[in-house]
Amino acid sequence: MATLPQLIEEDIEAMNRALDELLARSEACAALIIDKGGFLITQTVHARQFDLVTLAALSAASFAATQGIANLVSETNFTSIYQQGEIHSLLVINIDEHCLLTVVFPAQVSVGAVKYFAAATVKQVANQLQKATQRNPTARLDLSLINMAETGPLFRKKTA
Amino acid sequence: MAIINQATKELQVKIVYYGTALGGKTTNLVQIHDHVQTAEGQKGKLVSLATSSDRTLFFDFLPIEAMAIKGFKTKFQLYTVPGQVIYNTTRQLVLRGVDGIVFVADSQYEKMEENVKSFQNLEENLRSLNLSLSDIPYVLQYNKRDLPNAAPIEYMEFLLNNREQQVPSFPACASKCEGVFETLNMITRMLLHKFINQNLSKAA
Repeated sequence: MATLPQLIEEDIEAMNRALDELLARSEACAALIIDKGGFLITQTVHARQFDLVTLAALSAASFAATQGIANLVSETNFTSIYQQGEIHSLLVINIDEHCLLTVVFPAQVSVGAVKYFAAATVKQVANQLQKATQRNPTARLDLSLINMAETGPLFRKKTA
Repeated sequence: MAIINQATKELQVKIVYYGTALGGKTTNLVQIHDHVQTAEGQKGKLVSLATSSDRTLFFDFLPIEAMAIKGFKTKFQLYTVPGQVIYNTTRQLVLRGVDGIVFVADSQYEKMEENVKSFQNLEENLRSLNLSLSDIPYVLQYNKRDLPNAAPIEYMEFLLNNREQQVPSFPACASKCEGVFETLNMITRMLLHKFINQNLSKAA
């Protein structure tokens, strides 16, 4: 299965800049770039703390379920999903084969405006991911820094 | 597949607990959540998308960080799938991007056919994602060993681990947290060794 390219500091910085810009323009409170497997890649959050790891996992699952629904109604895919709330609303937009953009914004902000500004963010992020792929198309995992010298269990059970 | 963020030195890995309905997949995650020894902030909330009768509807999700790995922040995301046959589409969705699998088999004699069918279903669903068990590290957990009608381990090995390359298997009683951490530690270790070896072979 194809995976994300290796992301270096330059990539994350470029994506964070795009997210910052989106938040500034759209009045959104959080913007996340997530992998379709449910991993959080990077995020920008204003004001309020959300559980971003879980938000990423659930957004990816929700988007994947929506794609299943698209197939049932003879659509190749839906490019975004929108959940309207009373305090916050949520927009999840497809970036490319691997990634999604999730935006959390105040419910009083128009979804049209968020979509409009997010379209530019999607382009910027997709371009950066493309650059990362072209930088080293075959590179995937570089774990040379991992040190598993400790031979004990990785997860330990609490003692009573 | 696992994602790596060189900028933040983070590795994120997805492990899916698979198996028959009511086999103990959710119980494994609940026990890990309740008993894992972690530093502050290294264990997330256990999220369960379940029906009113506590049957898993979509998945359970537990983010957790391993303590003993230096150099990278290694975050594990543990998922379960719904075991009921009708939720196959959901199982396929949850398997997307999977790095490692724990197959939780129910040790009761009368569940053997379901175990075998669920294992075959896992193979089919992986095929639909262009994956196979030869590419993905997996371990077997024989759960509910405390029940009087538990089949012998040898029989379960014959049914589920009768392949050219046998995988590690663990007897467990998830409701008492027995065998739960042994299983988790083995799959995480296998995964990390696989990633490191891949990296070494690329560098060679």
